[in-house]
Amino acid sequence: MMKSPIKLVFRKELKDALRDKRSVMAAMSYAFFGPLLMALAFYVLIGQLTDSSDVKIDIEGGEHAPALVAHLEQHGIVERTEPWPSGQQPITLTIDQDWDEHIATAQPARVVLSADFSSQKQRTDIRRVESVIENYSNQLTYIRLQMRGIDPRITQGVDLVKHDKATKGSKAAMLLGGVLIFILLSVFFSGMNVAIDISAGERERNSLELLLSQPLTTDQLVWGKALAASAFAMFGGVLSAILIPVIFTLLPLHEIGVSVSLAWPMILMIIALLVPLALLATALQLFVSFRAKSFKEAQTYISLLLMVPMLIIFGVEFARVKSQILYYLPLTGQHQALLDIIKGEALQYDALALSALLTVGVAVGLLRLISRMLSSEKVVFGL
Amino acid sequence: MIEVKSLQKTFGDVTALDSLTFSAPEGQITGLLGPNGAGKTTCLRTIYGLLKADSGEALIDGIDANKEPLEVRRKIGIFPDKFGLYERLTAREQVAYFAALHGMEGDTAAAAVEEVMRRLDMTAIADRRATGFSQGQRMKVALAQAIVHRPKHLILDEPSRGLDVMSTRILRDLLRELRDSGTSILFSSHVMQEVAALCDQVVVVAAGKVAAQGTPTELCEQTGESALEEAFVKIIGTDEGIAA
Repeated sequence: MMKSPIKLVFRKELKDALRDKRSVMAAMSYAFFGPLLMALAFYVLIGQLTDSSDVKIDIEGGEHAPALVAHLEQHGIVERTEPWPSGQQPITLTIDQDWDEHIATAQPARVVLSADFSSQKQRTDIRRVESVIENYSNQLTYIRLQMRGIDPRITQGVDLVKHDKATKGSKAAMLLGGVLIFILLSVFFSGMNVAIDISAGERERNSLELLLSQPLTTDQLVWGKALAASAFAMFGGVLSAILIPVIFTLLPLHEIGVSVSLAWPMILMIIALLVPLALLATALQLFVSFRAKSFKEAQTYISLLLMVPMLIIFGVEFARVKSQILYYLPLTGQHQALLDIIKGEALQYDALALSALLTVGVAVGLLRLISRMLSSEKVVFGL
Repeated sequence: MIEVKSLQKTFGDVTALDSLTFSAPEGQITGLLGPNGAGKTTCLRTIYGLLKADSGEALIDGIDANKEPLEVRRKIGIFPDKFGLYERLTAREQVAYFAALHGMEGDTAAAAVEEVMRRLDMTAIADRRATGFSQGQRMKVALAQAIVHRPKHLILDEPSRGLDVMSTRILRDLLRELRDSGTSILFSSHVMQEVAALCDQVVVVAAGKVAAQGTPTELCEQTGESALEEAFVKIIGTDEGIAA
């Protein structure tokens, strides 16, 4: 029984690629540094979100209402002593000089809060000032009613009880959306160098002609090469699929009320999702770089090509596109399934199967096209 | 037996092969001599099926490479126009790869690789990676790749380009030995001395056509010249693109 030429080509290309430090480094570094970078970004973000230091604002007329100022201070809102940073509008609380009189006569005591309410940066600060004042106002009301012998609960016509049904998982999904992009794109980045080397590289070092003159079909050649490059793509994919959840357990995500727990079956599911995608990524890259005359030329084309999956996933992510069709298509199908896995929602297995099938289908079509290309003297010899 | 029958091939406006007809019988070294651009490489590429002729046919043991390329390629060993090595593989691995592509496996393959390595005196470099190989060492690897599966037909495109004297001698000795064991060898060259020293039969190609055919002595007789060089120049009509 003769060994299949596909297997021969696959094994040779894999051996060759594993000895290429540049290819191995490329696959590893993406899988390592991508998630690491994201972790760092999240670390800073969590720090900012859980910041509970004092809010420093300008307080005018504080002398009229020392009780209010004390109340503010108790809740972490203090008078500012340093100047405002440039580009930031001051937050100013002005207490009316008639404060005492209004309190004594049980009228609304006026306090003016002036700030740039559209400022993203100061929003939390303004919100905190507002809620402390509201809180103080409520206390005043209660006291006033009680003094008149009225049950303060009379003011509450409706008791709105808020149940936050956002699970920790769905908060995690929002957060992890960005990171998922890394897992999906890892199969596009990790095999890239190998794909270029075994196609444009083969042509550049003048070994393509001899290889094409051997007793194997171009189909067998293309499949052997595609599987080798896909193996590399998967290597990066598996690495980042394992690393990203691990890195997230090291982050203090519970501080912002997010829990990420990816059990092994989920990770295996993610890895399974990546398999058809790895084949598609490789097929696309081979298709482009077999047309290139040199390694450099192929690199240029492929870095442009990489924009496509990035744009698609980022587009879906940030434009919040919601359509069932997304579940069926290559790339977006895996993306949606990944989101469901993270959210802890039930997977749509039939949609998943269909998108995997379509992905493989497109990849096989592309590989057939490459095989046809390599049978054409125009492409091979650049006539 | 390699037979080329009325091969016709044009690239755009350029006629590369113009009813080229010749044959390279078993047990003989046939030289394809011609100036640069005469169509030698085009002819060889058509024989192993990388190029498709517009008309005519190229047969290996009666099989047309255009119709059954894999059958033909199993029967031939190729030393191509440009041979690039896989820089990260050792000499042995490269030769073994081509043996495997030709369906050899296991001990048979290993023994064949070992034998061709010994024959070409390259055991010293067998387990070194190709990076840093000299031109001569590269030629040996390419040659080993071409003959490891013991093909009945050997096709070489300008095999002695850039080789030093020692490497050239190794190449010539090997070709003679293979001829004596019944291989039909076809090689292209634009170097007259080489063709004269090695070939049983010379096919002179100019502008895609056979300009003359015969043994070196016959060619001299046909042209009425005593020196081979003069004979070639007379046949081709110009000495452009020919090296002494």
